[in-house]
Amino acid sequence: MAQRLKEVDVVIIGVGMVGTMVAKELAAAGYKVVGLERGQTRATVPEFQSPGIHDELRFDVRKALMQDNTREPVSFRNQTSQVALPVRRWESFLPGTGLGGSMVHWNGQTYRFQANDFQLATRTRERYGKNFLDSDLTIQDWGVTYNELEPHYDRFEYLLGTSGKAGNIKGQIQPGGDPHESPRSREYPTPPQKEHYQGALFRKAADSLGYHPFPQPSSNLSQPYTNPEGLKLNTCVFCGFCERYACEHYAKSVPQTVLLPVLLANPNFELRTGCQVQRINLDSSKKHATGVTYIDAVGREFEQPASLVITSMFAINNVRMLLLSGIGKPYEPASGQGVVGRNYAYQTMSTVASFFDEDVIINPFMASGASGTLINDFAGDNFDHSGLGFIGGAFIGAVNTNGRPIEYHPTPPGTPNWGKAWKQAVVKHYNHTVMFSLHGSSMAARQNYCDLDPTYRDAWGQPLLRITFDFPQNDLKMAAHVTAKAVEIGKAMGAKQVAGSPRKAPYTVTQYQTTHNTGGTVMGDNPKTSVVNRYLQSWDVPNVFVIGASNYPQNASWNPTDTLGALTYWAIDALKNKYLKNPGHLVSA
Amino acid sequence: MKHVGPISAGVLVLAGLPVVLSAAAPVQATKAAAKSPPASVNAPCASCHGVNGEGSAAAHVPRIAGQSAEYLQKQLDDYASGARDNAIMANFAKALSAEQRQEFARRYAAMSAPFLPEPTSSQRQLARGHQLAYQGDESIRVQACNGCHGPDGSGVLHAAPYLAGQSSEYIGSALKAFQTGLRKNDSGELMRSVAARLADADIIAVAAYFASEGPATH
Repeated sequence: MAQRLKEVDVVIIGVGMVGTMVAKELAAAGYKVVGLERGQTRATVPEFQSPGIHDELRFDVRKALMQDNTREPVSFRNQTSQVALPVRRWESFLPGTGLGGSMVHWNGQTYRFQANDFQLATRTRERYGKNFLDSDLTIQDWGVTYNELEPHYDRFEYLLGTSGKAGNIKGQIQPGGDPHESPRSREYPTPPQKEHYQGALFRKAADSLGYHPFPQPSSNLSQPYTNPEGLKLNTCVFCGFCERYACEHYAKSVPQTVLLPVLLANPNFELRTGCQVQRINLDSSKKHATGVTYIDAVGREFEQPASLVITSMFAINNVRMLLLSGIGKPYEPASGQGVVGRNYAYQTMSTVASFFDEDVIINPFMASGASGTLINDFAGDNFDHSGLGFIGGAFIGAVNTNGRPIEYHPTPPGTPNWGKAWKQAVVKHYNHTVMFSLHGSSMAARQNYCDLDPTYRDAWGQPLLRITFDFPQNDLKMAAHVTAKAVEIGKAMGAKQVAGSPRKAPYTVTQYQTTHNTGGTVMGDNPKTSVVNRYLQSWDVPNVFVIGASNYPQNASWNPTDTLGALTYWAIDALKNKYLKNPGHLVSA
Repeated sequence: MKHVGPISAGVLVLAGLPVVLSAAAPVQATKAAAKSPPASVNAPCASCHGVNGEGSAAAHVPRIAGQSAEYLQKQLDDYASGARDNAIMANFAKALSAEQRQEFARRYAAMSAPFLPEPTSSQRQLARGHQLAYQGDESIRVQACNGCHGPDGSGVLHAAPYLAGQSSEYIGSALKAFQTGLRKNDSGELMRSVAARLADADIIAVAAYFASEGPATH
């Protein structure tokens, strides 16, 4: 029997970056806010300090910062004809857990999406005609525009202190930046990080081919920075332990370094860790949430009543929370009806490896998670897709994030996967190889979705989330096209051997690609094709807001975090200035 | 070179200060000397830093024996260019060619020297110093010293000088110099960022702790 607690104004499920931002703003506005975090509390000191934090076995192989999938896995299959099985070891993507969420182990790559990404369906129709798209694609507009989000992108980047070079300030193209970017209102808060050697090689080659290289925007900072919340960050030292790890130097922008201390100092906020939320509770009308039920670390069940519920979990967990709570109609791929779980998308990652002679010293370990150089000439809709048979694209960059010895072993095609020949090849190529990342868009498709697993349950007896996903033909064609362009850049760098690996089907959940899971609680203007409205408010239960990359109708060519930060501030603005002044539907269905 | 410096090295060094300045002239070097300075060229360094680079706490002169060659060379280069401000060292470094600065840095990096123990500090100070060295302090947003300065403060080649066994006077004055901005030749303002968050008591504690550790054996 659940113990019923005293009602609060707001309960927040998941205290990662989004939860921290929402809680901080609403607590500061005078509301009583409770944050429920399933993981443990943690801070830069002592939890993120070396030498412990540089333990590749613990953090890379054993995924110490990730959701505990001995208790709470997801199940996976490529298509509906298969039986999904639980993912017992994270590989393809790495959902984090604990205070600060997945952002604690991010790389700090901080891109905006482009204006046309937010109106992808409309813009594609306008530029390429009605019949251009493959019939399985279910892409749609976001219901919010770039111009509406721009001030919120700006605010989020200044919260983080992001290091970069603007390419377009109020319509004026800026030398050294990305000329393809949509206009930003001002320069980045801090200048770009230093360029490493592989970045310099890439830049020269890309320049020679007429492309537009620019420094990767990084939230591993290039210089000390004090953010608008008064928190000071340090300069990144290029230790090469960003993704999968936490930063020991107060140099990576994560909730602990940019906002949590402000939130935790506010008496209107109460953090409860070790709390596994089971469901959002609804009243008998099923149109109003009364709070949440959770189980604490010693197994006691509590009901936390609240006037407003925010679910700010990792993308796929947002989807699961709505399904477990009976909020919104679950998506059904056969009929195409329903919305929760619909338009699950990912990222279409390809690689190109350029192998040099031994007199070219790359020092790959000398890197931050975002200290690369890249081009957007083949990203998004920055090139003409007429006759190509696909939409979308990928950035191409020498954006290698590390040379960590257990994880990084570039070898040319044909090298055995183990044994003496493999070891010799690793020794030969480790310090003389440049890896490009081709970070590609992922289009939503009818057959890709999330629902509740009919068989497997978590440690609390709740059905697992089941992911059904494979790469649509559209994205495979994109990967092949962009990989061919990247191979040309590798050759222009003067590499002895260039090996392109365009992403191929089937999607495999046992190979790391990226932790950019999107969709499933899509935002939009139409309740028949979206779970939340343009303010991220549930169409069905208006005192529930769902905030996460799960809101993306499809995924663009860039890392999703900056856009999620912008969407969060956009939603906070609507909460503070619209919803909380007059609770109810912000958009009529 | 092999004989152990006297315990009274501090006195010796203080007396020898003028020698440093006057000794600078003969070091004006030919190319031949730059490649391999004769042993006698050690003399200007040795008169303050000790025959074996053991330093002198009393005279605020750091231990340089076994220090990272890259670190020593950067400091000499910075004294010469003015990036690090110190009248005595500037005079000395400016008189050396870039090659000679590199040679001296390498020579002292290769040395080992006896450790000259300092008077013991209070247990409380040492405990606070140990905390800052190994763990840091979230309440002042300072990370562990050893995160950059290596296991047990033993230094990291190419990157950060050792602290273990360094004199407490020198560590303390270096931190104060970073804190007040008198010294600013730290890459990325890394040391200025940290020193700005340390209280005077923290500086004394961490300096005493590293001095008490003795030279690391890593």
